[in-house]
Amino acid sequence: MSAQLLTQLDGALAAAERYAEEVRAGLAGALSKSGRLDPVLLEANQFAAHGYAWVATTVAALKELRDWCRRLEAAGQLGEIERLIAGAGFGEYLAQLQGGIAMSQGEVVRPPDLGAEGAAARLAANGSVRALLAQGNTLDARIAIAVAAADGRFGVQGLADETLEMVREPFRRIATETAEPFHRWHLKDELIPLELIGRLAELGVFGMTVPEEYGGAGLGKLAMVVVTEELSRGALGIGSLATRSEIAAELIRLGGTEEQKQKWLPKIASGEILPTAVFTEPDTGSDLGALKTRAVRDGDVYRVTGNKTWITHAARADVMTLLARTDPNSKDWRGLSMFIVEKPRGTAEDPFPVPGMRGGEIPVLGYRGMKEYEIGFDDFRVPADALLGGTEGQGFKQLMATFESARIQTAARAVGVAQNALELAIAYATSRKQFGKPIAQFPRVFGKIAAMAVETMAARQLTFAAARAKDSGRRCDIEAGMAKLLAARVAWANADLAVQIHGGNGYAMEFPISRVLVDARILNIFEGAAEIQAQVIARGLLSGERN
Amino acid sequence: MKVLVAVKRVIDANVKVRVKADNTGVELTNVKMAMNPFDEIGVEEAIRLKEAGKATEVVAVSLGGAPSQETIRTALAMGADRGIHVQTDVELQPLAVAKLLKAVIEKEQPGIVIVGKQAIDDDSNQTGQMLAGLLGWPQATFASKLNIEGEGAEVTREVDGGLETIRIKLPAIITTDLRLNEPRYASLPNIMKAKKKPIEALTPEALGVDPKPRLKTLKVVEPPKRQAGIKVKTVQELVDKLRNDAKVI
Repeated sequence: MSAQLLTQLDGALAAAERYAEEVRAGLAGALSKSGRLDPVLLEANQFAAHGYAWVATTVAALKELRDWCRRLEAAGQLGEIERLIAGAGFGEYLAQLQGGIAMSQGEVVRPPDLGAEGAAARLAANGSVRALLAQGNTLDARIAIAVAAADGRFGVQGLADETLEMVREPFRRIATETAEPFHRWHLKDELIPLELIGRLAELGVFGMTVPEEYGGAGLGKLAMVVVTEELSRGALGIGSLATRSEIAAELIRLGGTEEQKQKWLPKIASGEILPTAVFTEPDTGSDLGALKTRAVRDGDVYRVTGNKTWITHAARADVMTLLARTDPNSKDWRGLSMFIVEKPRGTAEDPFPVPGMRGGEIPVLGYRGMKEYEIGFDDFRVPADALLGGTEGQGFKQLMATFESARIQTAARAVGVAQNALELAIAYATSRKQFGKPIAQFPRVFGKIAAMAVETMAARQLTFAAARAKDSGRRCDIEAGMAKLLAARVAWANADLAVQIHGGNGYAMEFPISRVLVDARILNIFEGAAEIQAQVIARGLLSGERN
Repeated sequence: MKVLVAVKRVIDANVKVRVKADNTGVELTNVKMAMNPFDEIGVEEAIRLKEAGKATEVVAVSLGGAPSQETIRTALAMGADRGIHVQTDVELQPLAVAKLLKAVIEKEQPGIVIVGKQAIDDDSNQTGQMLAGLLGWPQATFASKLNIEGEGAEVTREVDGGLETIRIKLPAIITTDLRLNEPRYASLPNIMKAKKKPIEALTPEALGVDPKPRLKTLKVVEPPKRQAGIKVKTVQELVDKLRNDAKVI
């Protein structure tokens, strides 16, 4: 049974990869001038280009589902539930490749949008594709997947690594313990208690990927993904506590001087200091290179002036990673520099108790527990030695070097949120009775649960793959972008489906799924919006820089 | 003083256990496994003894197939100093476990041995008692409090109807109850450090023990599904039902 499925998966994946390549070749030709991708044509055809990014992401997810099955088979772990998930995932995604992929609810990209009717017809004619379309995502498969999921069996993750499973365990437990209190903090819009942050710090969450010589655990990104998913399964806010520590540590590890590494990394790793990321401005979000905050050298200090926004955990943070323009004559990313700046921890009454810095809270729908702020700098003094790496003009490149990790981490957060939604949906659907039986027994309900379980596994395997790529030391902006793109859509879809299963109760703030819905919504926006990820993927693949 | 703790690899407490279709046992394929929770409590207690300066070394022992090493690794990540793995693929029953542990204890000469009061898979609750019997050592079972004082220990036991506090001489066997402590979680740096801690590999043959099963499992079945209850209108009717239908009074 396994052998036949694996052969089908191989055949269908090869056909899907051929389809994606035909789409790529066609678009690359249409959007290039004298052999180079033309920015004007790329923008004019953004829908098709981003559509292709989604095609490539969908095919990458199929590849990871296939590879997952291959690894399980080799380890003697390919069981019925895993086979069903892979079959249903292929059935669904192959159908989407031919019929249309929802980039968002209102934007479905179909083969004609990509000039790919012929290629789609060839895909549809493939024998393995036809077999999986007919036998993959069937009613029986959905029943079996949903029944297993209701039993707590979501398919083995197949990490096949004893250490990673040990790494997972404490955070799985903490997430389970914390889910309920977190919902209360969310409803009261409170900061996550320092006691919990201290507990996570003791367990080493803030130094996961910091090298051992600087006081961290020296783990790879795959371990970071495992921990992040587990914590986010409890609540997005818990899984996001270490995000800014990861970014700051990565910035300093990759771009800092030895002195800066010695000074900051051990304190970040131990959780003694909490960083915040000060990049975004009111007028520059995705177009970060255009930011306006100035840092002017004046003897031993830089004087910083400008406005920043969407600064997470800002009042409580002890150190800022601050991006500002040091070259006043520059207009783009080239004149930017990164600073590692100390700041005193603030209180609710006085969030920024330091001269030259003021700020206010931005009330938000979800993603609570750390609070969001806008900050104004007015002649704020930064010591000159806070300049990361000691050289001006490197800030944007230094930040870019952390994007892959940050996006992989965010993909893992999204997978955790997706799993959280799935588990809440199951708990409700199996206990809520209507028309004389648990609603989980109705096809429209168990079908949703099965779809959630399948897509969550696809997003998880794609995220694992991105982390493995990063750990191997190679460039993986496209893999990271794909993982983030798919996982964020899956998280939102799962949250929305789970609310639907809850009916009116899902709309009541008392039920945790109401929080998961608003939490899930941010995942498509922050750390590179879905449109930016699609752009990175499309540009990378269409330009032929990466293949 | 050396503390020896026994740790067993069992199905994770959060997993819904399923009986195999042929009724020969429970499904273990692709099932999440973990350290027996009562053994976790034992490891925690041993580490606390070391932290309090009452013990010098904590040795974690597990018996079973190769994956049992993962359970030892978990104990090492919590803070145990080294591990001993007695490798065998034979199904181990309480008497065999007690004999194997006795052999390890004679080799290691610990001052105190802590084991879980039972494993959550077979719920035998026999190993600690048999081990004490084989060694001729004092035992304090179902411990909810442990105080080492000089050559002895004061142990509070959870017994029917309350708590019993006894004093025993060391060396002794302690079996843990749920309220003895709350086990810590392994931190990431300690998980990494645990990879470098030694695990000694032994076999039943090397220890001179025949671990062959003495009991035969005839059949494993699901517990019966709960039947719907009935409502009675009067106390008299209730008494009638209890006497004549349920036959319990």
